[in-house]
Amino acid sequence: MKQNEAQLDKLEEIVLQSILYDFYGELLSDHKKRIFEDYVLNDLSLSEIATEQGISRQGVYDIVRRCTLELKGYEAKLGLMKKFQTIKDKVAHMKEIVADISNSRDKAPEETAMTWKQLGTITSLAEDILKEL
Amino acid sequence: MAVKIRLKRMGQKKAPFYRIVVSDSRTPRDGRFIEEIGTYDPTKDPSAFNVNAEAAKKWLANGAQPTDTVGKIFKNAGIL
Repeated sequence: MKQNEAQLDKLEEIVLQSILYDFYGELLSDHKKRIFEDYVLNDLSLSEIATEQGISRQGVYDIVRRCTLELKGYEAKLGLMKKFQTIKDKVAHMKEIVADISNSRDKAPEETAMTWKQLGTITSLAEDILKEL
Repeated sequence: MAVKIRLKRMGQKKAPFYRIVVSDSRTPRDGRFIEEIGTYDPTKDPSAFNVNAEAAKKWLANGAQPTDTVGKIFKNAGIL
């Protein structure tokens, strides 16, 4: 059970690492970037990368760990990933409301109050998004 | 020929999506693969797995080695 949890973490970790890479990967040095890409994007094992680069497995492990820390450090300072996620959620919410309104085009007039409320929500979501930028 | 079962990152930037592919262990990076046997979409909540169990079992029986991450997905899918 313990091992199971550890592996789940590894899968989640690799997804997190690959998203961090999307945002800040260009800031890594070429050598570190290549190793990090192989590990995170191509799913190569530490020992496969070690053999290919002619360095030790421990060396590869250290580079991957340091890259992850570096990328997390950028996120802590710049927060682009978090900002992206918030904006994405809000836009998705707006699209849902718009779809709702389109689906209820033929509603009775007494229900239009609902539509006005929905439009109000869209406007305030849009304002929130602009504040985030 | 040593054969591996790996994740292959696809999808747009900032929206990861993975294919589970069978490939020759000597050419991990050239993008070619022998067969695609599933997908993994972590952007869904909960994450969406899709594995062709029959193909996966066939490859495992033939000695293909899954990476740790693919092994985890197979476990979730009830293949390992």
